[in-house]
Amino acid sequence: MQILMQLIVSGISVGMIYGVIAFGYQLTFATSKTLNFGQGEALMLGALVGLTTVNFLIGNALGNFWAYVLMLPVVLAFGALQGSVVEWLGVRPAIRAKSEAGWIMSTIALGIIFKNLAENIWGRDALKFPSPLPEASLSFGGIRIQPMEIVVVIGAIVLMVAVELFNRYSIYGKAVVATSNDRDAAGLMGINTNRIITFSYALSSMSAAFAGVLVAPVTLTGASMGAVLGLKAFAVAIIGGLSSGLGVVIGGLILGITETLTGYYISTGYKDVPGLLLLLIVLSLKPSGLFGKAAIKKV
Amino acid sequence: MKMKMVWLLAATMITAPVMAADPIKIGVSGPFTGGSASMGVSMRDGVKLAASEINAAGGVLGRPIELVERDDEAKNELGVQIAQELINKENVVATVGYINTGVALASQRFYQEAEIPVFNNVATGSVVTKQFAGPDYKANYIFRNAANDTIQSAMIAEEAVKRQGFKKPAILADATNYGQLGKTDLTNALQKFNIAPVATEKFNIGDTDMTAQLLRAKEAGADVILTYAIGPELAQIANGMAKLGWKVPMIGSWTLSMATFIDTAGPNGDGAMMPQTFIQQPTTPKRKAFIEAYQKAYNVDRMPSPVSAAQGYDSIYLLAAAITQAKSTEGRAIREALENLNTKVEGVVTTYDHPFTATDHEAVSDNIPVFGLVKGGRVGPAHPEDIVGDQALRIKPKA
Repeated sequence: MQILMQLIVSGISVGMIYGVIAFGYQLTFATSKTLNFGQGEALMLGALVGLTTVNFLIGNALGNFWAYVLMLPVVLAFGALQGSVVEWLGVRPAIRAKSEAGWIMSTIALGIIFKNLAENIWGRDALKFPSPLPEASLSFGGIRIQPMEIVVVIGAIVLMVAVELFNRYSIYGKAVVATSNDRDAAGLMGINTNRIITFSYALSSMSAAFAGVLVAPVTLTGASMGAVLGLKAFAVAIIGGLSSGLGVVIGGLILGITETLTGYYISTGYKDVPGLLLLLIVLSLKPSGLFGKAAIKKV
Repeated sequence: MKMKMVWLLAATMITAPVMAADPIKIGVSGPFTGGSASMGVSMRDGVKLAASEINAAGGVLGRPIELVERDDEAKNELGVQIAQELINKENVVATVGYINTGVALASQRFYQEAEIPVFNNVATGSVVTKQFAGPDYKANYIFRNAANDTIQSAMIAEEAVKRQGFKKPAILADATNYGQLGKTDLTNALQKFNIAPVATEKFNIGDTDMTAQLLRAKEAGADVILTYAIGPELAQIANGMAKLGWKVPMIGSWTLSMATFIDTAGPNGDGAMMPQTFIQQPTTPKRKAFIEAYQKAYNVDRMPSPVSAAQGYDSIYLLAAAITQAKSTEGRAIREALENLNTKVEGVVTTYDHPFTATDHEAVSDNIPVFGLVKGGRVGPAHPEDIVGDQALRIKPKA
């Protein structure tokens, strides 16, 4: 029983990371019907920029904790900037040309470019991210959790709640919701939809960068950390439904817990299988995702 | 038209002898990027150091060595491409390298078919030198100067079971050829002591969460973890154990000496033990000179992978000695010279005295490696009594 609880707890912290990245996918899909396939690389860049900033601040005799806190706004700003660049370079020309899948290729290409840039700047080895909290695990009735893993879960929830509140209670947030519902009507009502789309990309990359610095202390930081996470988060986004914020969280938790349970009870070699099986099942039974709404095409 | 061709041919033949001082091309194939990069880069740096020393002393047969380096990224398919390029386009006389067993196994057959010698200076999979061994093949063009996995797994088993008295080992190996072949070697080695592993777990390159594997080992009651993997994943095993609050000793293959393991695991990596052909300590004059030359040439204090650097360095010296003895750069002649090396080659790992025969292509025997121990960010000898005095230089017994 204790093993089961330990596995579930491990799975939750892994799943929340998938959820936060998938949340980023959902943000851009809602407003522009496009996805940033370089989302994993956005996470990786956020983590590496965060690492450099933290090392710089620690070099100036700041404690691990305060270096981390001061680094957060820097990384968030960087994420927003990176998202805007992706949108401006890759997505806007494709939307303008009414290309069906041009944005797929361009976001993938930008992802590859960012990965190579990162490899050249930070090298290809795995790096250690200084943890803001002590690394010793806490024990809750025999279940061991690292303090940083708790921060991961809290940070992910805080981010998603913040975006949800923004959408509901600020005028700009309402503009975003309007653009998601019907882009043409929103444009006719005077909302600058192009700027909204840029903003949603910026927000999406910002959440990926934030996820990057959340997950970096508990895992390996390096130029290749984004690829697998981005892919799994994409599966989570599909499973949870691309139109539901809550769906991606649930989807992430489902995938994270299934992975760790499979790894233990079936075989560690098959750890990646259940997530993809789940993806296939969801796509064949409920293609819009577990919590998504089926698109109603108006004539 | 035909006359023109004859004149052209004659002209080329007259000018050919003039190109006698052209360089001897030696291929260097290894992963200079990716998870195995610290081994590949160290190997290449050791190779470059040896080549520059030999060239400064006049080269081989009066000709300078020219290294043709190619990054195989630890990917089998790239290794194959590079082998074909080096043989057909660059016309190398021999190739040194191969860190990853899988890449070596996939690529070597091109050299074997072209009758060009391959010097494995780091790859440890036991079957690497046996791929083209007799009696099926008339001549074997694959040589090695690293401690192969048969030797390492026997050492690991002996250290864990006999010397330290553990009875319930768990094997954690990665999913590559190296990891899985090593796991088989380890299981066989343990069987000789009548011990079976209580848990055998697998993980992929790039995996960061080892909770499931470690929990299964813990539930099975393991008292020692035996590893066969490379740096970053090994560090996650060490970190994972600290996270679960369950720390048992880690004994594994030589890759536990990689800088990526030591740095990423931090204090969690202390106490890990592994067989080493070379520990970065000036225990003999040759080793002292090598360490100092390496540190000066590459501006480092701690070598990222001392074993790779030392074996890379030795492989060039062995090859140079063979080419000098053969007085030719023809593949067949080099192979025969290697199998009947008359001169003693003083290397960093050991002094090579007739290291190869027609049937034995392994320069490192089981008495050469000693156990290293990770402590405070560096690798030191685990049992200092192993390398004191005369024992510092261990030589392969004559056949």
